[in-house]
Amino acid sequence: MEAVRSPNAERHEEDRDQIFQPLSFRSGLRVKNRLFRSSISGTFDEYNGHGTHARLNWEESFARGGIGAIISSFVPVTVRGRILPRYATIDDDDKIPFWREVGRRVHAHDCRFLLQLSHSGRQQDVGGVENLYRVARSSTSKKDYFHGILSQAMSRGEIGQIVQLFADGAERAQKAGLDGVELHGANGYLLTQFLSSGINDRVDEYGGGVEGRARFVLEIVRAIRKRVGSGFHLQMKINAVDHNSWLYPWEKAGNRLEETLKICTILEDDGAGVDAFHVSSGSTFPHPRNPPGDFPVGEAPLWYDVMLSSGVRTGLNQRIFKNRFLASLFRKFWLWRRGKVIEGINAEYARDIRNHVNVPVVCTGGFQHAHVIADVIRRGWCDGVTIARPLIANRDLPKILEQANGPEPSKECTYCNKCLLNDLENPLGCYELSRYDGATFEERYANMMRSVMSVFEPPAFGPKAESGPEPAAAEIAEKGRAR
Amino acid sequence: MKSSEPLTPVTAYTRRRSRAVRSLVLLVLFALVWTGFWLLGASAPQRFEDDVEHFKYGSIGSDNAERGLPYWIFTVLPEVFPEHLPPGGKGYEAFGLLVEPGRDRPVGFSKRRVFGIDLLGLNCALCHTSVVRDDPGTEPRLVVGMPANTVDLQGLFQFIFRCAGDGRFTEANLLAAIEGHVDLNFIERILYRIAIARFRETVLAQRDKLEYWNDIPAFGPGRVDTFGPYATLLFGMGVDGLIGTSDFPSLWNQNPRVGMELHWDGNNDSVEERNRSASIGAGNTPESMDEESLARLAEWIGDLPPPPLPAERVDRSKVDLGRTLFGKHCANCHAFDGERVGKVEPLANVGTDPHRTDAFTVELAKQMNTLGEGYPWKFTRFKTTDGYANQPLDGIWARAPYLHNGSVPTLWDLLLDPDERPKTFYRGDASYDWENVGFRSDRPKDEERRLFLFDTTLPGNGNGGHLYGVDLEPESKRALVEYMKTL
Ligand SMILES: Cc1cc2nc3c(=O)[nH]c(=O)nc-3n(C[C@H](O)[C@H](O)[C@H](O)COP(=O)(O)O)c2cc1C
Ligand code: SF4
Repeated sequence: MEAVRSPNAERHEEDRDQIFQPLSFRSGLRVKNRLFRSSISGTFDEYNGHGTHARLNWEESFARGGIGAIISSFVPVTVRGRILPRYATIDDDDKIPFWREVGRRVHAHDCRFLLQLSHSGRQQDVGGVENLYRVARSSTSKKDYFHGILSQAMSRGEIGQIVQLFADGAERAQKAGLDGVELHGANGYLLTQFLSSGINDRVDEYGGGVEGRARFVLEIVRAIRKRVGSGFHLQMKINAVDHNSWLYPWEKAGNRLEETLKICTILEDDGAGVDAFHVSSGSTFPHPRNPPGDFPVGEAPLWYDVMLSSGVRTGLNQRIFKNRFLASLFRKFWLWRRGKVIEGINAEYARDIRNHVNVPVVCTGGFQHAHVIADVIRRGWCDGVTIARPLIANRDLPKILEQANGPEPSKECTYCNKCLLNDLENPLGCYELSRYDGATFEERYANMMRSVMSVFEPPAFGPKAESGPEPAAAEIAEKGRAR
Repeated sequence: MKSSEPLTPVTAYTRRRSRAVRSLVLLVLFALVWTGFWLLGASAPQRFEDDVEHFKYGSIGSDNAERGLPYWIFTVLPEVFPEHLPPGGKGYEAFGLLVEPGRDRPVGFSKRRVFGIDLLGLNCALCHTSVVRDDPGTEPRLVVGMPANTVDLQGLFQFIFRCAGDGRFTEANLLAAIEGHVDLNFIERILYRIAIARFRETVLAQRDKLEYWNDIPAFGPGRVDTFGPYATLLFGMGVDGLIGTSDFPSLWNQNPRVGMELHWDGNNDSVEERNRSASIGAGNTPESMDEESLARLAEWIGDLPPPPLPAERVDRSKVDLGRTLFGKHCANCHAFDGERVGKVEPLANVGTDPHRTDAFTVELAKQMNTLGEGYPWKFTRFKTTDGYANQPLDGIWARAPYLHNGSVPTLWDLLLDPDERPKTFYRGDASYDWENVGFRSDRPKDEERRLFLFDTTLPGNGNGGHLYGVDLEPESKRALVEYMKTL
């Protein structure tokens, strides 16, 4: 990113004021500062999608750290659209009580909570046993090129059903008392699969030009609006640019910025559409640009194995990851495809989108320092920033930013992406050993485990379970009565 | 798992893919092995149990990558370029080559697959096998070891030169003709394309080196300039004014010839060197020589008997007188136990056409003795002479026409005063004249093809000299001829 001001202790107060200014949306949503927690999931929940106390702990930990709003993890609107088992879903009314409890916990810290309505499409990392015999649905019948996940183009009927599932999900979020929803329209999931000119190869009214490709998402936006009205916050996470040919140069490049600008206009729907945009980039997940950082060659062969049975190219990938030479080549390639900038990698894209649309824009990608965050807001490139990994590393990052430009250097998120690879099999947390205190490896490792496992504390049952599962249970009882 | 349970889509896909990959790998392996076999495996030289078959069709090593003729190119030339054949000719029979029924190539050619292409090589039988028609209207019979009386080697080569120099000698035309006979696979087609281009190049280069053929009298059937091509093709020498054309010799009875001065001019007294040098003429290189086959053939011709002249054709009443006369006038030079047999008779004595002996020059002898450098058989015995070697007369009836240059059609004619010997006559007839002992020479065409008018007035074709016996009484001459039928 060009011309980011260098950190300047004397001007920190100015930066702080910029960051800790409330942000209001026309939906009525008001966030106490300009810091959003970007979606990060963690396989903490029940296999079938019921939430657990671990997720309550997880989300509350960010709220406690001072973040203005939390955008939930990837929340599938149906089990067919999950990316990993053990992510809480919103596929049924029976999930409402859990999400209500999440809201309750988070609101207690004056933090807003937006639920990310999601569907994997063909980018289904681990479909789970329920989906074992199902081929993932998408805009296309071409398999995903990274893992080789098989895919089948949806019929019009299926499209209609999924539109309704998103609307159902939004309605449930509203019923759960949450502050809004975000459509996961970025990073290669189902909505990207429709929006992207690199992926969508349909010849019906849901493909072709920008309007055709945006039709599915527009139908979702309208269906949601119809259910929840204009007073319920609805925002769209979107790829500014797809960079779809990052891995195989013969793949189509996907959406350029100009196409995205047109899509944004369509989704604003003359003022009746979305209330904000959340700018990301990269048409797969992961992608060298998202989460921007390193490719952890040590972790990949340890945890990628869980995906071996998911796709028809996973074996090839794993062979590459297991081979130290090929893996290091892959890493070099990954870094080259990412580029030099990490912190604010999407900021200029956000600027162009914000210049084009009539609603606020938040931006994701690497934000960790007050001077950078304040700068992009001050310049009007975006209205707020969303943060994921630096918050995994330091839950109290907002509090830190109030006091200082950033975490102590030894405690900064290194963008190593070890959390990302571990997420496939292990509890989500920061797995960067170098960040942990200790004189020996064993000490550091023990500290790391303590930190990672803290998501399970307090436990559901036992002396420390102060705010245990009772409220959720009460909801279930209430729902039972309602029936 | 019960077999009725379906596979997951991913398993089904990967199994299908593994199957496809496996079949592909198998296919590729198979193709590689097949190609390997086909390129390299099949290149064993052809051998035949039967000595005669081996002599006619077996390999001596000349069917090598460097000098072999691609079989299919050779085979289709007469059909692609009929206009270059002698008028009225159809196949290679037009050049007097002998094609036995059911054979895929004429007598005198071996066939061997080298780098996926069938190559022909010339062997001994091409110049040393012929046919004799005993009576008008009967089928000619094949006689192995006999000089190839009908074979017009020069005509054959010039035909190939004309084809290669023709604008229609293109890969497309040749391939189309070849594919009229065989289905070529993809690799063969590529190989043939290369072979066709290479064939044209090498043939045209040879044509240029044999340019001198246009400046000397045509060989006609049964004759060849043995050493001129060595000079021009192997040693890059000029042969201006030299005419080495002479008759093909017979191959039989080589053992009794050991130690004799061999070749018409007696320029080498080693049977082995003579054999090897002839095989180089047929297309061998020092490396390509098929030692086993050459040794086998040398042994076989060592005691191959001459073909007997049919007994009923001999007037036994004259034989005894003939024998006596032979003993008196001829045996010294021409009987195996004769004193001068196998020795060079100076030109001054024999008086026959000098060109052949003159054509083998000191420089050429020197060059011939460089052949085989680094091999145990390296040539050392070539030398020049000033005359012609006295030949034993075994199977002489089958060695017509006579004298080294084949300038006298019959034995009877040879006993005439040179002025009375035929000035011109036709060569290449397979029909036999049992009375005068020699092939018929009085007609321009025999049953098969146009014959060659031999003109004794042209340089190198002179029929003078060898006045031995010309003064005998006709009765004595008849008796002598009758006796010589029995040799
Ligand atoms: C472990 C992990 C899980 C993530 N899961 C999601 C997700 O479910 N939905 C989403 O939109 N983005 C997801 N992201 C992307 C982040 O929300 C964020 O956009 C990206 O990491 C860039 O921000 P950062 O540099 O602050 O981490 C995930 C990132 C990580 C590291
Ligand atoms: S493992 Fe920790 S340091 Fe590494 S990217 Fe994730 S949060 Fe940052």
